[in-house]
Amino acid sequence: MAKTSILLKIFVMLALVAAGTVLLLPPAASAQEEVASAIRRYKDREASTGYYEEYEVRPRRIKPLVGVPGVEEGIFNYSPTAAKVRNRSHLADSHMGIAFYKEKTCQTCHPEQAKDIHTVRANLTCRQCHGGEPIASNQYFKSPMNPIRKHAYVCAKCHEGSSASFASYIVHEPAPGSAAARKGFPILYFTYWFMTVLLVGTLAFFIPHSFLTGLRELFNKKRTTNDDAADAH
Amino acid sequence: MTLPTRIKRFSVLDRLSHIFLMLTFLLQTATGFSRLYITTVWGKKVNTFFGGYDTSLVIHEWTGMVMMAGFALHTIYLLTRIDWRTPVKSIFGPDSLVPNLTDAKQFGQRIRWFFGLGPLPKFNRWAYWEKFDYWAVYWGLPLLAVTGFMLMFPLSTSRFLPGWSLNIAALLHRAEAILAVTYIFIVHFFIGHLRPSSFPMNEAMFSGSIPMHEALEEKSAWVQRLQEEGKLESASSAAPSLWYRRLYFMFGYAALIFGVYMLINGIIYSRQISLH
Repeated sequence: MAKTSILLKIFVMLALVAAGTVLLLPPAASAQEEVASAIRRYKDREASTGYYEEYEVRPRRIKPLVGVPGVEEGIFNYSPTAAKVRNRSHLADSHMGIAFYKEKTCQTCHPEQAKDIHTVRANLTCRQCHGGEPIASNQYFKSPMNPIRKHAYVCAKCHEGSSASFASYIVHEPAPGSAAARKGFPILYFTYWFMTVLLVGTLAFFIPHSFLTGLRELFNKKRTTNDDAADAH
Repeated sequence: MTLPTRIKRFSVLDRLSHIFLMLTFLLQTATGFSRLYITTVWGKKVNTFFGGYDTSLVIHEWTGMVMMAGFALHTIYLLTRIDWRTPVKSIFGPDSLVPNLTDAKQFGQRIRWFFGLGPLPKFNRWAYWEKFDYWAVYWGLPLLAVTGFMLMFPLSTSRFLPGWSLNIAALLHRAEAILAVTYIFIVHFFIGHLRPSSFPMNEAMFSGSIPMHEALEEKSAWVQRLQEEGKLESASSAAPSLWYRRLYFMFGYAALIFGVYMLINGIIYSRQISLH
């Protein structure tokens, strides 16, 4: 009997301590869940704008969810020249040290970048997406253009609800038939040439085909008409 | 047995489908080209007619959806045309538009005929270029629809596909549209209007019937088959009335002039637009 009551007292005390602990401790931080794994990161809330700023310190070395054509990965993917460019793509001021920078316009050095639909059709200026000086490199970890937050900081200005996947749309698309496209965006390159061959092939077949049909019928008609004329006499 | 003077070639539904396709296709060409050529003087002019860059897109999108509804209905209609008791015979038979070995053979004969090296092949109901015409539209429409829907709903698309697929979709939509427009306004119009046996206009798609001498000349195997099956009498058709002929001549020529106008201006201004 006594033994049972002691056990009961211990049980009640433990239960009270447990309840007190639960009540006194701060609630579990559910917000941490979304960065619990590299794969799940941002997935649920990537549609928001600027949401991750509070706890984001540095982007983790993770593979992006969606591959971007032209961005290579690996240890020895870069030649010395490419490495120099790549270095520049990680700077806080991407145009650091360029001679007479202030005298130049964006298009002086980037003429091809002003031919895309955003510039030509929507009349956007470079600054509306790339921001004011100093323009950080795309890969600089605090840059708004960094692919980890571009969708929220840049694309979502106009495309409300833009996601990281959406932001992998290539704004400065290379000319689809060019060697640059073959290297940087092969699917675009091969799609272009497939459709071009289809177009040229179809027309190269059917235009002569129609023309020869017409020509032959013209001769046949002429002969029939002449025969009719001969019959009448 | 005397042959009927005219035989039926297209049903009322076939003809209505063709008119539906004409109207929607021309509207899509005009609104689509007006946006493709928006950076040129001509493009701006056409675009203003459709209410500007955004409004023309709304028209383009809704017309596209109407086209897709038409495409779905047509596909259902196709399925009802198959004789399901003998599906293989029905799908690969002479009344079907599915290409077969005879088409390859007749193509060779046709090439020889071009150069006077052989007689005209005895075509059945559909010649191979007519089959090509049909399937070109049938695969072009869904391609334009899928890429069009992707571009209409880019955010939803990027949930299922990477965002760079929109670059591909835009390229495919443009390229397929240019292919369709050039093919229809050059090849189809030449076959339908300009070649001597059609000049000034091949009326079969509007009147629904063709004169017997024309059928015997070009589709002799078809006439023979109808005769053997005893269907020739029932395929007999009356000539279209004069008012109806006047109507479809005006309609056909309006479409022709409009198409040629789009094509010529498209070619003239093509050097002023960049596609990227």
